[in-house]
Parts: sequence; structure tokens; C-alpha cells
Amino acid sequence: MKKIFEDINRWFYDMTRVFCNEWKLVVKDIGVMLFFVALPLLYPITYTLIYNPEVVERVPVAVVDNCRSGESREFVRNASAAPAINIAGYAADMAEARRWMAEGKVFAIIHIPSDYSSKIALGEQTNVEFYAEMSLLLRYRALLAAITDLQLKITQDITMNRVQAGGLATSGVTSLPIESHNSFLGDPEQGFASFVMPGIVILIIQQSMILGITLIGGTSRERRRRNRGYDPLMIDDAPASATVWGKTLCYVLIYIPMTLYVTTCIPEMFNLPHYGSATQYLPFIFPMLLATAFLGQALIYFVKERETPFLIIVFTSVLFLFLSGLTWPRYAMNSLWTWLGNLVPATWGVEGFIRINSNAATLSESARPFIAMWIQTGVYFLLAWWVTAFLRVRAIRRAKQLDA
Amino acid sequence: MSSGLRATMRREVGRLTSRKIYLFSMVLVPVMMSLFFVGLLGPGLPLKIPSAIVDLDHSPMSRSITRSINATELIDITEKLNSYDEALEATRRGEIFGFFVIPANFQSDALGGRTPTLEYYTNLTFFVPGTLAYKGFKTVAVGTVGSVVRTSLVSAGINPDAVSSLVQPVAIDAHPIGNPWVNYSYYLSPSFIAGLFALMIMLVTAFSITTEIKFGTSVGWLSTAGNRIVVALAGKLLPQLIIWIVGAMFMLSLLYGYLHFPMNGSMFWLAVATVLFVIACQAMGVLFSSIVPNPRLAMTLAALFGILSFSFTGFSFPVTSMYGYIGVFSWFMPVRYYFLIYINEALDGVALYYSRWYFTALILFPFVCSVLVGRLKKACLKPVYVP
Repeated sequence: MKKIFEDINRWFYDMTRVFCNEWKLVVKDIGVMLFFVALPLLYPITYTLIYNPEVVERVPVAVVDNCRSGESREFVRNASAAPAINIAGYAADMAEARRWMAEGKVFAIIHIPSDYSSKIALGEQTNVEFYAEMSLLLRYRALLAAITDLQLKITQDITMNRVQAGGLATSGVTSLPIESHNSFLGDPEQGFASFVMPGIVILIIQQSMILGITLIGGTSRERRRRNRGYDPLMIDDAPASATVWGKTLCYVLIYIPMTLYVTTCIPEMFNLPHYGSATQYLPFIFPMLLATAFLGQALIYFVKERETPFLIIVFTSVLFLFLSGLTWPRYAMNSLWTWLGNLVPATWGVEGFIRINSNAATLSESARPFIAMWIQTGVYFLLAWWVTAFLRVRAIRRAKQLDA
Repeated sequence: MSSGLRATMRREVGRLTSRKIYLFSMVLVPVMMSLFFVGLLGPGLPLKIPSAIVDLDHSPMSRSITRSINATELIDITEKLNSYDEALEATRRGEIFGFFVIPANFQSDALGGRTPTLEYYTNLTFFVPGTLAYKGFKTVAVGTVGSVVRTSLVSAGINPDAVSSLVQPVAIDAHPIGNPWVNYSYYLSPSFIAGLFALMIMLVTAFSITTEIKFGTSVGWLSTAGNRIVVALAGKLLPQLIIWIVGAMFMLSLLYGYLHFPMNGSMFWLAVATVLFVIACQAMGVLFSSIVPNPRLAMTLAALFGILSFSFTGFSFPVTSMYGYIGVFSWFMPVRYYFLIYINEALDGVALYYSRWYFTALILFPFVCSVLVGRLKKACLKPVYVP
């Protein structure tokens, strides 16, 4: 019995030694500090500045008005009142308007037919053509929404005029019989930064942590190759499990203030949606920090050199961004991509954090991602444990083989 | 071809084949990521968005609205809920991306002229499904209004033929030029694959140059090239260029040959642009290695630049809408010009004339980026490794 207590005591002693050693190592290594501190501090600001204009406004649009009547001018006036549309000018004909578009001066063309006003006067239907350049979906989306609203407004004006002019006011149809009203949840201003930033900050946390950990790991493996399989700067006599936990404690401790910063300060600084409560999202993110710290230590298996994380890890940011479902929803993915996404801590972190932060969900409503991240924590701990033990043994074995 | 150049190229081929990391980052990553993007975005639009209906009326009219919502390709009604609160909770749990509320007494109010209100809510925290659900709901809401107006007018004694022009006197026909399907993959796949190539090219170029400095082999590298830095760089980067071009041509044939992405312009000029783009990215790698002849710092610059280029180049958020001092950065990124040429050639199919400045910019990159190679040469002759 006493032996067990001694063992436990010894284990905690070793873990503490590893923790203190790792802390010193991290603070001294400018490359690691760049990943652990500078990256989470500066990237969110950079990204928010890129997307902070939020909405696409005043897109230049050309008008080809073949009617040149009061009605057609009324149409253009209504169009230019929309925030998304900026009438850049009247083109003489479609050819000129197409040329403007090719030169990038305008991104859409409104073509009003010559019989526009006469058809309205006759009570017939008239067609206005709207040509949009499709180089960017966000621009098209803004224009299309504006044009649809424009159509509704004009329809309502003309229809009511006609109904009244036709003496039908008595029919009771004096206004629209049904109203419709829409609301956007989570991002009421439909802003781009408001939508993308809550997800991006979580990815930044995961990726910067993995980059830093693999940088430490790669550097240590280089030292092992130079020192006959031993790393003089690591506590090699501590058991592998104590090493993994000691290091993890160090990384998580560094990342708690970083998480607080990206999840709380960044939305407050830039006025992004921030409806969730810190008492819900901070406990939610905690297992992601643990799982990421373990995953990073497991990935050291692939990182032989201090500089290779750049080649092996950096591109995964793009991969993980897509797997998280932020740009392309997860329900539309096939099962291979869904499963690949399930393996990434940030997939669940993004999903849950966005719901808590932007939709004011509670921790219990985010139970599924929360549990998934705890499972990852368990699995990745085992992997990290094995990798740590294996790399140590193999480095020494290889050094001996070289001697022989 | 000078003997120095040939020898350097032979030496580089030996280096490229001696380490697995080159195979991984020059072949495996670009190919797998290309397949990943086209596979993931294959459907073009994430249709059948999980949504809910809250029908508080339970009338023939409300059931008909429910049917028409479910009939749109955009919406899949996965849940029928009994209150706004339940629907909001399902949204927060992430089960649905939007919901449509039909108020109580909807049918009788509509027919009795008491103007009921249809309400629909979409969750924009996930932009694409939120936007599409909004579009689907709005179409149904507007259509319902139209059909009720039509019914009222016909019952008021108006000729049914005249009613449709009365209900919709002005129809606006939208023509999305070049991408009438509004297919997301046509933007995201080519631009993100190109961005990924740019990232990997800059990283590998910086890695392959600065790793020579790290291990002190840079002296041998330069002496193989007769101590001429330009020959040394050409000998190192030409074999890599061939690998990148093979990969990029695989990407082009995957997109335009196998998957039939729209190509309204000239495939030839897009291929030329692709080669110039690859060279421009290599030039950026050389520039980073010259600014900081240290593997970690040069690759930090390359990674920073490569990752930010996905945002700065405006694949998703337009450069014209960014703050001026931010948008200006996009002009330093080769992938920006490549993206603009892609739009002009593949989607818009305009004449080469309109892409002339983008081609010029891509051609200028190697010249501008080699201003500091003298500095790189100095670092190569006296290699110092700072970890």
C-alpha cells in the first residue's frame, strides 16, 4: 500500500519537474513564443481588420435604359436607393456595358427594355434584365437581394395603383393580404466578420498550439539525434505519462489567457456578436485545449526536424477550416469528410463555440461537441503517451545501431 | 546550358529524392488537397438545409405552405415544432439552420383581410446554409402573398389572364453570367487549390534554400554552381519547377478536363498563367530566404503570407470592400493575379487584353523578388544557423 503512495508521489514529482522544465524551454524559445503568444494575439486582429467592413455595399452597376421614360428613371432611382447598389453610369448599349464589365468598372448591368413604360401603361407584364458578373458570390448575393427587394417594392407600387385605378378598391384588396417578416439569428447585420471570426479564433487556438508543440518536439528530436538518443534539455528519466501530462499542463496554462483573449476580448474589441456567457463557453473550450495539447504531442511522430512543422502542419489550417463546416456545412459532406472532421478538436470547438457565442446556447445544448472533445482528449492522450515513449526508445536504439 | 547549372540541377534532384518531406509537400499535399476540395464541394451547393416549420394554424393553407417549402430544393423540413421557443432551442443545438413560423388563425386572417404575418428565421452564424435557407423561405413567403392576392382579385371579378401582370407587373430576370448554377465549387475549388499551391511552393522554396544554410551545405551548393547565386538558384529551382508544373497541370486537367468546370475563355492562357504563377510563388520563396536567411524565419514569413493570402486575395470577401490599407496587401500576392486571370478566362471569357496587367504583374515577380539575392549569397557563403 505504501508503495502505491510512493509511486503516485513520485509520478507527481516527475510531472512537476517536467512542467517546470517545459515552461523554461518554452519561454526561452523565441520560435515557440511566436506560435504560442504572438500568433493568437495578432492573427485575430489581422483577420478581423480584413473582414471588418462586414457587408458588401455600393457595388457599381451599369444601366442600359432603352426606354428613357419617367417610369424607367423611377426604376433606376429605386435601384440606386438600395445600399448594395451604386449606379455607376448609363451605358449607350449592351456592348458598352459589357465592356465596362470586362474592364472591372461595373459588376452588374440593368437592362430596361424600350417598351417598359408602355407595357406598364397597358397593364401588361414587362421584363427587366439583370446581368451579374459572378467573380464573387458575396457580391452577387448582395446584388440579388437588393434586386429582389426592388422588384417587390415596384410590384407593390404599380399593383396598388392599378387596383385603385381599376376601381377595385372596394374589393378589399387595398394592401398586401399577408405580410412577411424575416430575422437573421446570430449575425443580425449579416456581416462577414461577424460570421467568420468566432470560428476562426477557435481554429487559431488549435493550430498555433499544434505548431508550437511540434516545433518543440522537432527540436528535441534533432537534439536526440545529436546526443546518442538522449535529449539533455528534457527530463528523460520521468515516465512517459508524467512527461505528457507535465507538458500538457504547461501548454494549457499558457493557453487559458490566450483563449480568454480570443473568445472574449476580440468580440468585444470589434463589436462582433457576443451573446454567450463566459461561464458557458470557457468550460466548453477547456477539453479542446487538452485534446489539442495531446494531439500536438502525438503529431511529433511525423516531425523530425525543428522546421518541418511548417511543411506538415501549416496547410492543415485550410483543411481543418473546411472540415469544421464553417464555410461548407457538415450535413452536406460525405461520410469520409465527416469522419475526418470528427477527428479534429477544432471541428467540435468551432461548432459549439459558435452556437454558444453567437446563438447564446448553453453548455448543455452543446453537449454533443463537448462530449466529443472529451473522447478526443482520452484517445489523443493515449496516442501522445505512446509516441512519447516510442520516440525515446527508438532514438536510443538507433544511436546504438549506429555504434555497432 | 552551362556545366554549373547542369551539376546544380543534378545535385538538387539528388536532394529532392533523398528526403520524404519533399515527396509529401510537393506531390502528396497538392494532389490530396485538390481531390479534397473538388470532392467536398462537388455538389456545388449544400442543398436540403435542415430546417423546421412551426405551424400554429393547422389549416389547409398552412399545410400547403409547408408542402411548398419542403418542395424547394433548398429546404428540407426535418422537424415540425410547436412553438418559437422549441425552434430556437433546436437552432441552438445545431439541429436546424432556420425555421418558418405560420401564426395561429393564419388562413382566416388572410382571407378576412386582417393581414397576418409570416415569419421566418435563419441562423447566419453558418453563412452559406443560413443564406440559402433565407432564400428558400423568402421565395415561398413571396409566392404565398402572390397567390393570395391572385385569389382575392379573381374572386373580385378580374379576368384571370390579366391577374398575373397585375400581381407581377415588372419581372426582373437575373442572369448570373458564367455561372448560372451559382455553383460554389467554381469559386472555392480553383481559388483555394491555387492558394494551397502558393502556400506549399513558397514554403518548399524557402525550406530547400535555407536548409542548405542550416546544415552548412550552402557553400557546396554555390561552388557547384561556380559561385554564381543566379545559377545556383536556377539549378535548385528548375527541378522543383518541373514537379510543381506537373502537379498544377494535374490540377487543371482535373478541374477542366475531368470535372468540366466552366471554361469560357482560353485554356491555353490559363495554363500559361499557371506556369507564371508557380514561378512567381517560387520567387516569393527566394525573397523570404533572402530577407531572413534562416529556415524558421523564412518559413514563418512564407506561412504568414501564404495563409493570409487566402483572405487578402478576396476569394470570399471582395478586396474592393476591404479597408484601403488592408486591400493594398492583396497586390503583393501572386495568387491574387492568378485569381483575377482565372475569373477573366474561365468564368467571364473576356479577351486576353483585359488580363494584360495581371500577366505583367506575374512576370514582374521574379525580377522584383531577386533584388536581395546578393544578401542570400553572402549568407550562403558564411552559413550561420540560428534555431
